[in-house]
Amino acid sequence: MKLDFYRKIGYGLRLEDDIPADPIKWAEKQVEKPAPLTWPGHIPSAKELLDHRAVFVYQDRKVIRKKYKDDRKAYKNAKDQLRYQTGERYFKSLETVIRQHAAVKGDAPVFERIWHFWCNHFAISEKDMLAQWNTGAYQREIIRPNICGNFTDLVKKVTTSWTMIHHLDNSQSISPNSKWGKNNRKRGRPATVNENHARELLELHTVSPAAGYTQKDVVSLSYIMAGWENPHSKKREECNPVKFNVNKHEPGDHKVLGKRFKQRGLSPKSKLIDCIEYLCAHPETPKFICRKLVRHFVCDEPTDAMVQPLIDAWQETKGDLPTVYKALIKVVYDNTGVEKKFLNPETWLLQCVRIAGLNWPPSPEIMEYDFKSKPRREARQPDFYMRELGHDLLAPSQPNGWPETEAEWMSPELLIRRLSFAANFANDNKIGKFFDYAKAAEKNFDDTENVRKYLKKAKDIDFYSNPKRIGQALFSSEWMLKV
Amino acid sequence: MTIGRREFIAGLGSLTLLGSPIFNARAARLKKKNLVIVMLRGGMDGLTAIQPNDRRMEEVRPDILVTGTKKLTSDFNVHPRLNSFLSCWKKGKAAVVHATSIPYTLRSHFDGQNLMESGGHTPYADKTGWLGRGIEASELGSLAVSLPMPLILRGNLNPDNYYPTWMNLPTKDEMRLINSSYTKGSALAETMERVRNRPVAMMQRVDDNDAHVLARVAAQELKREDGPRVAVFDIGGFDTHAAQGGEDGEHGERLADYDKVLKALREGLGQAFDDTLVLTLTEFGRKVEQNGGYGTEHGYGTAILMAGGLLKEAQIYADWPGLKTKHLFEKQDLNATIDARSVYCSAMSYCFDVDFKTMKTNAFFGDDLEDLSGRLFKA
Repeated sequence: MKLDFYRKIGYGLRLEDDIPADPIKWAEKQVEKPAPLTWPGHIPSAKELLDHRAVFVYQDRKVIRKKYKDDRKAYKNAKDQLRYQTGERYFKSLETVIRQHAAVKGDAPVFERIWHFWCNHFAISEKDMLAQWNTGAYQREIIRPNICGNFTDLVKKVTTSWTMIHHLDNSQSISPNSKWGKNNRKRGRPATVNENHARELLELHTVSPAAGYTQKDVVSLSYIMAGWENPHSKKREECNPVKFNVNKHEPGDHKVLGKRFKQRGLSPKSKLIDCIEYLCAHPETPKFICRKLVRHFVCDEPTDAMVQPLIDAWQETKGDLPTVYKALIKVVYDNTGVEKKFLNPETWLLQCVRIAGLNWPPSPEIMEYDFKSKPRREARQPDFYMRELGHDLLAPSQPNGWPETEAEWMSPELLIRRLSFAANFANDNKIGKFFDYAKAAEKNFDDTENVRKYLKKAKDIDFYSNPKRIGQALFSSEWMLKV
Repeated sequence: MTIGRREFIAGLGSLTLLGSPIFNARAARLKKKNLVIVMLRGGMDGLTAIQPNDRRMEEVRPDILVTGTKKLTSDFNVHPRLNSFLSCWKKGKAAVVHATSIPYTLRSHFDGQNLMESGGHTPYADKTGWLGRGIEASELGSLAVSLPMPLILRGNLNPDNYYPTWMNLPTKDEMRLINSSYTKGSALAETMERVRNRPVAMMQRVDDNDAHVLARVAAQELKREDGPRVAVFDIGGFDTHAAQGGEDGEHGERLADYDKVLKALREGLGQAFDDTLVLTLTEFGRKVEQNGGYGTEHGYGTAILMAGGLLKEAQIYADWPGLKTKHLFEKQDLNATIDARSVYCSAMSYCFDVDFKTMKTNAFFGDDLEDLSGRLFKA
């Protein structure tokens, strides 16, 4: 039957869902094109959020610090007001809600799982308040619409996005022989490139260290990337749309991983485009990414045999992602019940919600915000919950994102968070109280007999006489944590 | 800036305590000495924290030179945001090892941070951390207190971890039932076993989630004679490619975060601060020359800030390589003339009462490290 498959590739089946006649087709259909977001409330655009950020950073850096420099209390008040006015305490939680709503209410859970994978692959780490306004919108507008096309196009979009450029400091690059660089040097000022973005483009986003690039390659790529910036302005600071500034760009040809990149046509922009195409076509790129995909869904240590079908699909189609996903789906299906994966906190949480129909995430009414005072507790809860589970979605501590293996998620404290959370969630949730967990279990586990026995045992214990406690027992069980 | 506990987990990093709540035989015989490691992620700039009196600094860092520094010695000044550090220095309870680094020169944060925690030479090759191995070698039973388990604390015997939560914790009966669903001998079952063996004090919810309270909690735990002996703090944000600034800049803010941790520890520990060593750890220093964005790039040599009553004296311990271009590593970085691991190995050997050679063999693969205990710590 392979009922576990729906949790290995998605978030499990809801009580009202029919068991699909053809599980593979069911999954394949979801990855052909991006699914629409389901959140019925307002979904702010990246531009709208950048405007909020612009107000915040300008006021914060240039106005209120000076205005209230002698009055700490007034400064603090003004800063709080500024936070409310710009949604600084609000949008991160709203992004969590928008994301999780699509996962639990939408009809394309497989697509959502894959979207989450890419959000983590092209992670934006905790830096300079990006999570407060920009990261969520970047995931919705840059990553989400581009994960059902070609990988190369996705990398192009990500690399030249405002959020990634800010995250990895590419605006700071002034290459030594650029117009501005020469000027700087004349005045005795440094003219150097920031290597951060180039290094991550190689190490984390495309070829990985397995390609054997050197520090020279990193510098060369930094030269190619120099000029892609978030232009600075007086009133908006860095909050302006991405531009290519030829005056900071290093003229001439640059060699990366053995290939020389020359300007084609009128703009040296073409060098980065060509270089991304080259990196994406490099044989190490599909090897690295396909293994990571299998690791994410199937098991911590994938065998070559599990990864090869994805690499083949990639190479045959030159990186057509839906084709790769379809190969992945088959591998996941074949390994359902054979290989198990310890789920990360969010995937586990969303599975609890979806299979038990829990009342989550909060409604648009609860998420309404007046931008005048501190957002209410219920509206901040989604963000708060994820942090308490040790999975602060929009703010991993490093650009390599959240860990993908059991060893990194398995610790007494992280486990106890899940157990506590399961109890709190099942207890507090209005729907969870009256839910028929046994029925949901029959739909979602291949080990039906043992799950049934376990739930019966829970029911027979005194302190589980209250049916809502059955939810706690189920959510905390190995069947839910590992699939 | 006030640091909420949540931010502590998410942004600034987290706190980890390690040691045994249940005294084992060896621990009972030893004088309790606490070792606190403060990890500074992103590449802490030793030249900003502890600035050399060198004209060259003005030439290479016209826009980010730290003004308002306070004098430590005739050759070095301390950043003005390191107030508690300076106050410790004045009492002979702070010192610096300068021009030092872990032996890693390739400038990647992820590789560098992996190595600063593993203590090895090849990134991602070692799955355990030097502190975890050191504790194991000292045969001190261990308990870690943190949300994610940092690599630095992993040993072959995984330490337990703990971090206060506001949520209701499951009861013993509930856990017994849940455990019955776990495969015997699996990592899940083993982890559950540790949870089930926790003392009652660790199974209570904590409502107060203020960072200052948390820092004090760490101090309270360390202070207890039968409490943990090791704590690890994790502070991020030192990767200042841009707007590094001088006195009020981003790097100064991060140093102030460290200083707050030091302050809370010192106040909370009271007398026990005299039986404590607090050492910083970072993946690399930063380039000597500033970049176009008033920041600095990834470099090599940096400084270790040390505090606590176990220090021998207030001193800058260094074999100073100089800042002229010919003295710099790859013509761009402060060179590292002391392997930082010598300092950490010495500190573990000293605090855990294990001879240096044994510690070196167990925690640092027997690498050629120097015992600095006599020069840095009280006899």
